[in-house]
Amino acid sequence: MIPILRRQIGIATLVALLAIGLPWVGNEYYTGFAFTLVTWIALTESWIVISGMTGYVSLGHVVFIGIGAYVAALTWMVLPIWAIVPLTGLAAAALAAVVGYPCLRVRGPYFVILTFGVSELVKFIVINIEAGLSMSGRVLFAAPDIDDLFFIGLGLAWLSFVGALIVSHSRFGAGLRAIRENEEAAETIGISVGLLKLAAFVLSAIVPGMVGALLIMRSTYFEPMQIFNPQTSVLIVTMAVIGGSDRPVGPLLGVVLLVALQEVLWASLPQLYMIIVGVLLVGVVIGMPGGVYGRIQRLMAANAR
Amino acid sequence: MSSQLLIAALVSGSVYALIALGLNLVYGTMRLLNVAHGEFVMIGAYCAYWGFELLGINPLVSILIAVPLTTLMAIGFYFGIFRTAMRSAEFMERIEANSLLVFFGTSVILQNAVALLFTPNQRDYRYADQIVHILDARVPVNKLIVLGIAGAVCIGAVAFFRLSTLGIAIKALIQQREAAALVGIPVARIDLLCFCLGFAIAGLAGVLVSMTEEISPYMGFPFTVTAFVVVILGGLGNVFGSLFGGLLLGVLETFGVALTAPSYRSIMIYGVFIAVLLLRPQGLFGAGRART
Repeated sequence: MIPILRRQIGIATLVALLAIGLPWVGNEYYTGFAFTLVTWIALTESWIVISGMTGYVSLGHVVFIGIGAYVAALTWMVLPIWAIVPLTGLAAAALAAVVGYPCLRVRGPYFVILTFGVSELVKFIVINIEAGLSMSGRVLFAAPDIDDLFFIGLGLAWLSFVGALIVSHSRFGAGLRAIRENEEAAETIGISVGLLKLAAFVLSAIVPGMVGALLIMRSTYFEPMQIFNPQTSVLIVTMAVIGGSDRPVGPLLGVVLLVALQEVLWASLPQLYMIIVGVLLVGVVIGMPGGVYGRIQRLMAANAR
Repeated sequence: MSSQLLIAALVSGSVYALIALGLNLVYGTMRLLNVAHGEFVMIGAYCAYWGFELLGINPLVSILIAVPLTTLMAIGFYFGIFRTAMRSAEFMERIEANSLLVFFGTSVILQNAVALLFTPNQRDYRYADQIVHILDARVPVNKLIVLGIAGAVCIGAVAFFRLSTLGIAIKALIQQREAAALVGIPVARIDLLCFCLGFAIAGLAGVLVSMTEEISPYMGFPFTVTAFVVVILGGLGNVFGSLFGGLLLGVLETFGVALTAPSYRSIMIYGVFIAVLLLRPQGLFGAGRART
């Protein structure tokens, strides 16, 4: 293992281990905030595996959260939690495998709009199924308390971050970046682009599926319009892009910034929060396309010279 | 019954065609997908709504406010954001993805700014809602006005692109950008013109939509998606194709909903969209491989 990778995994693991103590130090409010933070970390780190590295910008990441949540709602009280959470990850991966093959055949704006379309399509299908079963929302009784949810969320954030690190430093990640820079050239030199893209897409779906299960355990309620809300995809993209979506460290910065802002503004002025999100997205893409972390890296490289 | 449906299909089809025409102009010339296109439809709709509710202005007159407003926004956007961005080498490296994110951010800003100013509630106003009988169909007058204006603009656009020198120059630019520049077509000026035209058409479409449908700050994005489907159906930069695609989608949607249930409407639109992208990304009339 390369030293920098070992060091970064070491730091991530240490931070995660220290964070386990949080529920005993703080109160329920802090744990709730930390839960929000770790779920967004888990989501953005999973997003960059497909979109940051290959440049195939997915605007439909929420579909995996939604399908995970739906599977969790369907199996609630049927299966134990330790079985539900991995199952939701598998379900999301299966969905990604099914929709990924056709979706990844198109590129650029086609892919962006297609991912959005697929996520809306799945949302409306779930809504129609639920309406057909005359269910308007499902309540989850006896959901775990916030401390336990935080531990699972922390584990997922760690998994997602370390997974993204390993992919980023692997031959697999190098192949994905080659696709981003020039897909034809990558194919010419023997990279099996189709397989790599699909593998990245499926990998990126697993964690959001499990996060979906956690989110409805937190709200103790499953409602398709809410859990499949396209705004979640927007936030994932913005957090990753403003932090810098090429390296796994970047999105951490974006997540911390936006989650802190969300805590201040969401309850009172949700629209103002979204306006700031939009302004940050436009500003960062124009002003520093590599994101905040990309800019930091550049500055450090310039100083080292 | 069937003439009722046919007229409904024509009305929504002509609006789709109009909105897609605007999107197609910007995408065709600059190869940039304006995902904030629907938000300019929304802004046009709000112009008409407030003009009607506050000042009692006839929505047809509001067109004269909405179109200049969205055109001004286009000019501001082009020079304020686009020109700035294009100076950055880092931005240009991945211009397609980056510009998409910029448009996307713009869409989020506009939706929420309007929601903050005017609340996220749905609104409507009653204009020309007398019923007239055409064959065995009962149609409100406002739908006929929408059909008339949208249809006239679409047909006018087809004529413009067939007959006028400027229209042919734009078509040339859409088909072969480099070659068009070589034969002396002023590429930068036509880019700006099409950018403005695209936004202006969105503003016009917004006024029309507001006459017959409820409006809300979030009404725009579905129109963007629909317009994108129409553009793909008709082919990139193909104006006549947009017209045909719009009508086809209007017919599919109206008859599809009539045959199933209103709750299937979204499934149908997105289903058609996904099917088209997967089966014929080059459009119904396109022969070659899609430019991706």
